[in-house]
Amino acid sequence: MQVGTLSVRGLTKVFETKDGPVTAVDDVNLEVASGEFFSLLGPSGCGKTTTLRMIAGLETSTSGTIAFGGRDLAPLPSASRNLGMVFQSYALFPHLTVLENAAYGLRVRRTPSVKVKERVVHLLELLGLGGLHGRYPSDLSGGQQQRVSIARALAYEPDMFLLDEPLANLDAKLRVQMREEIRRIQKELGVLALYVTHDQEEAMSVSDRIGVFRLGKLMQVGAPTEIYRNPTTLFVADFIGKINFFPAASAGKGDVTLGSGWSVRPGSRHPLSAAEAAGFGVTSDAVVAVRPEHLAIERHPAEDGIPGRVRRRLFLGSTTRYFVTCDASLKEVIVETPRPIEGVGEGDGVTLSFDPSDGIAYVGSESP
Amino acid sequence: MGARRVLRDPFPILVGVITAAVLGILLIYPIGKALLSSFVPQGEALALKNLSLVNFQRFVTSPLYKSALVNSILVSLATTFFATILALPAAYAMARIKIPLKSLAMSLSVIPLIAPPFIGAYSWVLLLGRRGIVTVFLQENLGITLPSIFGPFGIILALSLSYFPFVFLIVQGALAAADPYIEESAAIAGARRWRILRTITFPLVAPSIASGALVVFIRALGNVGVPSVLGGDFYVLPTLILFQVEGFFNLNGAAAIAVVNVLLVLVFLLFMRRFSGKKRYVTLTGTTQRSKQNDSLGARVFGNVYVWGLLAFALVPQAMVVFSSFAERWAGTLLPTSYGLANYRLILGNVLEPIFNSVWLAGVATLLALAFGTVTAYVSLRRRFPGKWLLDLTIMLPFVLPGIVTGVAYLTTFNSGPIVLTGTSALLVFGYFVRRLAYAFRSVSASIGQVDPQLEEASIICGASWGGTMRKVTLPLIAPGMLAGAILVFSTLIGELSVTIMLFSGKTKTVSIAIFEYLTSHRIAPASAMGTVVIVITLLLVLLASRLTGKSMADMFK
Ligand SMILES: Nc1ncnc2c1ncn2[C@@H]1O[C@H](COP(=O)(O)OP(=O)(O)OP(=O)(O)O)[C@@H](O)[C@H]1O
Ligand SMILES: [Mg+2]
Repeated sequence: MQVGTLSVRGLTKVFETKDGPVTAVDDVNLEVASGEFFSLLGPSGCGKTTTLRMIAGLETSTSGTIAFGGRDLAPLPSASRNLGMVFQSYALFPHLTVLENAAYGLRVRRTPSVKVKERVVHLLELLGLGGLHGRYPSDLSGGQQQRVSIARALAYEPDMFLLDEPLANLDAKLRVQMREEIRRIQKELGVLALYVTHDQEEAMSVSDRIGVFRLGKLMQVGAPTEIYRNPTTLFVADFIGKINFFPAASAGKGDVTLGSGWSVRPGSRHPLSAAEAAGFGVTSDAVVAVRPEHLAIERHPAEDGIPGRVRRRLFLGSTTRYFVTCDASLKEVIVETPRPIEGVGEGDGVTLSFDPSDGIAYVGSESP
Repeated sequence: MGARRVLRDPFPILVGVITAAVLGILLIYPIGKALLSSFVPQGEALALKNLSLVNFQRFVTSPLYKSALVNSILVSLATTFFATILALPAAYAMARIKIPLKSLAMSLSVIPLIAPPFIGAYSWVLLLGRRGIVTVFLQENLGITLPSIFGPFGIILALSLSYFPFVFLIVQGALAAADPYIEESAAIAGARRWRILRTITFPLVAPSIASGALVVFIRALGNVGVPSVLGGDFYVLPTLILFQVEGFFNLNGAAAIAVVNVLLVLVFLLFMRRFSGKKRYVTLTGTTQRSKQNDSLGARVFGNVYVWGLLAFALVPQAMVVFSSFAERWAGTLLPTSYGLANYRLILGNVLEPIFNSVWLAGVATLLALAFGTVTAYVSLRRRFPGKWLLDLTIMLPFVLPGIVTGVAYLTTFNSGPIVLTGTSALLVFGYFVRRLAYAFRSVSASIGQVDPQLEEASIICGASWGGTMRKVTLPLIAPGMLAGAILVFSTLIGELSVTIMLFSGKTKTVSIAIFEYLTSHRIAPASAMGTVVIVITLLLVLLASRLTGKSMADMFK
């Protein structure tokens, strides 16, 4: 394994289709440090797979450069890039045993047989496949097949470890278990990992950093906490976790006034593009976003706050969730509290409030 | 993800050039040259100044040509009609009615396709001829006189019973695959059974019926064996071609008849496009839910009687061939008077060489078709390149060309000009190769289609070259499919007649020619012994292929 940084510059892919050109990936720039676990996250069709396939050399790029450790990958075919890849369908060779599947890359590299055996047996042990060496893929469970494909990808110590929705075919419980295992083994080997997923919870839980994609564009790159706490666009705010949007008017000096007349100075502030505002049905010149757990709910009317009415209360065990209809919000407001609030029931009029420093303001460009 | 295009990849270009050369020389050139020579009078050189319509004028001036044309149209249409009519109730019954031993019935239904029809054709003379078993029985007991078996009646009967499985298999498959909920929702909407059949089921499978009927029509139009055995002085286009070639070595005239033959196919193709040109309706479901089987007593009685009755009827020719091969003395009596192996002893001295010829000619052609079919199928499925539609179209061309046409095209083309192959084994090998290339291509395509392209990508990502990936991943996975395809091609070439009869020479006499010569000279005993050998060999080969792929025999012919 070679240590190095992956550097992607201006990567673009345009597919020529019958209905004209489709821009699947649009000017993507990325730096991924060696040993880092980096996720490409976004809704279906946003270009994650295409990006990964271009890095793997399975797809040509329309423009842009991909370099690893300072070396341009463009002249190298897939086979020479020394990558490990896990496919969503696992793509195990059905005619080879578990051992031979895992040993495939080493055999291709003409590694001495003794070393192959040693390395593969060790890796299979690490992945909990100790007793299954002689089995064929068709005789394995989904989770076991997944582990074999991980072993196959890592056996020859690749420079990068690429995974395209590797958990999509597993059931919910196994998904949680496998993602922990993937991260554990990645950290143990110290290999740079690129992980494609459309599941934001999965990305948040395993990644060192996440890149959020939308329509082929990379919207924001950051650590999970940063992306959650400080999303720079309405799209990222909405896509990662739950969030409430309150239309507002900007009142100068960093203050914004909510629809209920409450004036606050939010903790962070980002520009709001006209296109994005239109996409979310925002007609005001600013929006304040607040996470459900940052909202407080009170039975009594208060001067500073947002009035509403509880439509539904859901007791979820570790938290309680309230759905509150509210004139001053774009949609029904979600409030999440650690425990049920005494005396607040369905149909009750309530006042919502939050610590202004937890609010994120998105302000249109024409306002000050 | 369709695009697996890697730039600087010379493979598709290389394959493209080889493919174009092979198809150009072995398919396009002969068809083109035959077409050209049909416009040149016999004995004249192939040159622009010699072009004339004189060969085609005979379809207006000569009563023999005129009647052959009319007869061909009549026989092909009637065969298509009866084969379809026979097949539809059976297909419906197999898909919708409870019938015991269904898979046996499916396997039996492909036997008429495996055994060359002309081998069984003479059986109808033994049964329905002037002194045939059935004729005599009907006349003596019921006073019924049957029309003469020699002529249209016999030909249409033999061809319909040989070719109905084409319609049966495809329609049965479509019915079995159709979403059962469609018919059920019609029933829930209040439609009665006949109404559902007419307004839902039939339109659903109409495109399948059309494509099955098309195959039957092309086969019937191109079949030379059955009308040679049962025609007497009733000529159809293929026997007229044979007559022109064997009687006068009139290649230009034969080419003109072949062109008319192809024109008929094209007209029928265009006509059928009205049914199958529309989008395919059959909705394949992912559910394992099978359509509900009708198990009312009436339906079951009808279904069982019809299906087993039809199969028994269709297998009569093959059964008769085997039966008469054991008849030692059978003259002037209703049934043979003594049984034994005398016929086999009789052919022993003569059977080895034709069988040897058939096996090696078919074997070489099969290997060529397989190698070429595999490479082209791989490129066609896995790579994108300009002109791909042209490759797919060209390679499938032999499917719509009647066999006799390929034979005539080869005979006219390689008899003179830059490449002369007349009388050589190469001529037959290439003819067989072109004739069966589409089958090899199709069966290998099906196997490659089953291999997830991500397996190849996974191998390449692991560092393997393209060649290494082919050797270690793709080929091992498609090998069983390739083998089955090869066996299928080989076994259908063993009894091939319509190309062989145009191209064989003294050195390259095959079993099909040997049987054909016995039959046309009315030496039934050795013909049936040799026919039995061919039927048994091909049947065993197909069974073997079915075992190897785990596919049922019926599935292999779909
Ligand atoms: N071979 C192709 N030809 C044409 N368009 C393509 C091709 N491959 C992908 N696309 C288009 O490119 C866009 C991005 O596709 P991609 O597969 O990268 O999305 P994705 O983010 O991986 O989505 P998913 O989560 O559904 O897998 C889509 O609009 C898709 O339709
Ligand atoms: Mg994808």
